[in-house]
Amino acid sequence: MSGNADISVVLVDDNDIVRECVGAYLEDEGFTVFYAVDGEEALELVAQQLPTTCISDLRLPGMSGEAFIEQAFGISPVTAYLLHTGSDYLLSDTLRSLGMTPEDVFFKPIHELATLTDRIRARALRRGATV
Amino acid sequence: MNFQAETRCIGESNYGGLVEDVRDISELKLATERLEQFKMSLSAILDTLPSIIATVDRDGRIELVNRRFELLSGVVARDAYGMQVETLLPQFKDQLHHVKEVIDHKVPVTHELILHRTVATSRYYSLHMYPLISENSSMAVIRIEDISEHVRIEEIMAQTEKMSMVGGLAAGMAHEINNPLGAIMQNAQNIERRVSPDIPANHVVAAEVGVSLELVRAYLDKRGIFDFIGHIRTAGMRAATIITDMLHFSRRGEARFEKVDLASVLDEVLKLAASDYDMKKLYNFKNIRLVREYAADLPSVSMIVSEVEQVLLNILKNAAQAMAGSGQTEAPHILLQTTLREGMAVIRIVDNGPGMDEVTRVRIFEPFFSTKPVGIGTGLGLSVAYAIITKGHHGSIEVQSQPGNGCCISVMLPATSLDVRGGVS
Repeated sequence: MSGNADISVVLVDDNDIVRECVGAYLEDEGFTVFYAVDGEEALELVAQQLPTTCISDLRLPGMSGEAFIEQAFGISPVTAYLLHTGSDYLLSDTLRSLGMTPEDVFFKPIHELATLTDRIRARALRRGATV
Repeated sequence: MNFQAETRCIGESNYGGLVEDVRDISELKLATERLEQFKMSLSAILDTLPSIIATVDRDGRIELVNRRFELLSGVVARDAYGMQVETLLPQFKDQLHHVKEVIDHKVPVTHELILHRTVATSRYYSLHMYPLISENSSMAVIRIEDISEHVRIEEIMAQTEKMSMVGGLAAGMAHEINNPLGAIMQNAQNIERRVSPDIPANHVVAAEVGVSLELVRAYLDKRGIFDFIGHIRTAGMRAATIITDMLHFSRRGEARFEKVDLASVLDEVLKLAASDYDMKKLYNFKNIRLVREYAADLPSVSMIVSEVEQVLLNILKNAAQAMAGSGQTEAPHILLQTTLREGMAVIRIVDNGPGMDEVTRVRIFEPFFSTKPVGIGTGLGLSVAYAIITKGHHGSIEVQSQPGNGCCISVMLPATSLDVRGGVS
């Protein structure tokens, strides 16, 4: 659990329960978690925190999760972006060009949240290696 | 053709008449030749048409038949002449019986979708009877078409339509259900972790409120709370698996296609089947004689291996279960066969189990259709198999079966290469 405090996560979801239960897991894991209910709020957080990771829902009120990631990448290209979606989804070419791969897309409900934290750590390691 | 001229000329015996005779005979010969030629091309036309054709009189006696009629009845035209059409085509007896009415009322009659079964196949026919258009004739033309392929394509189309509807429904439902389901599963996981001694914060908070985490855990354990939480997780997982399965009906997904050797996939599936709990304990899989007939010249096939394995395992399980539950006297066996047919790799799984009736056969790929008792099967297995093969792999899947005659499921996969997104390249 320790050693994860360096990893900061911005969690974007308009559903309170999803934010709460995924957030609780991430906090227990030792990550520093920031919460946003939509893309606009999340953009501000990303600009302030330049987080290690940002997990965004796909369907958000206002701008979509895709549009949010595209804009957030412009602000903080060092952040690893992950998508969390309840719908059928195929990664767009734009998001692929930002370095996202199918492994960065998580389908709801995530059966085992450890798969998410594993990915967060893997992306954080990659960032450590490249930055 | 002037036959009267001929009679007249023969009666006269002068020189000029002789010349006329010669000319008339050559005209006659020409006419006969033309008639013969006409007859030949008429029968060529009849033989070329892809229908079974016969003309019969009011009593059903045959006057003329074409080649396809000969093939179906097994009787050549020469022998068929004058015979009862019902005798030659007993499978159409019920329909042919009405030929009298067709002739008497001068109204054509059509029968669609006549199912004719033999041990090996079932075929669909349409049968038409037309009164012959001629003043003084009381004949009828019978035309029979083999419409099996047409019916098969219609069945496939209806199935595809049904599945795309279910796909839309499943995607909508999944989206609504996934968040609450996630909350159930993930919060059960959170609860387990918040009383775990492995997370330092738990000890800190316990001390803050003046309890020991060990005692809290002992209490929860003694009252079976950990079991309850475990059940919540298991149940949530089961529901989530059903939702994930249903998403196959619509999911375009990230396809991980790879080119593999079909024989090794089948062998792997047999291994999986042998180690499957239900197969071992309930369906006595090791007692089933497995016959493998793999084509040697099969090219490698592009597929998402785990998905095709899921499909084949499901088919094997259904076969094993059907045979285990039927109390059949014949020793159970399953044939696994691969062949190459018209650019498709064909996998046939043939069992000698109890088979199924037509009602079951046409509904077998329907989601939530199950012949198993409630709680045993979700009725999703074969419908997911259908979606995986047709939607995910651009292949097709078919069932042939009759009660008491076993079951044959054919899975056809394109032997051409597929790119990573699942399109045929």
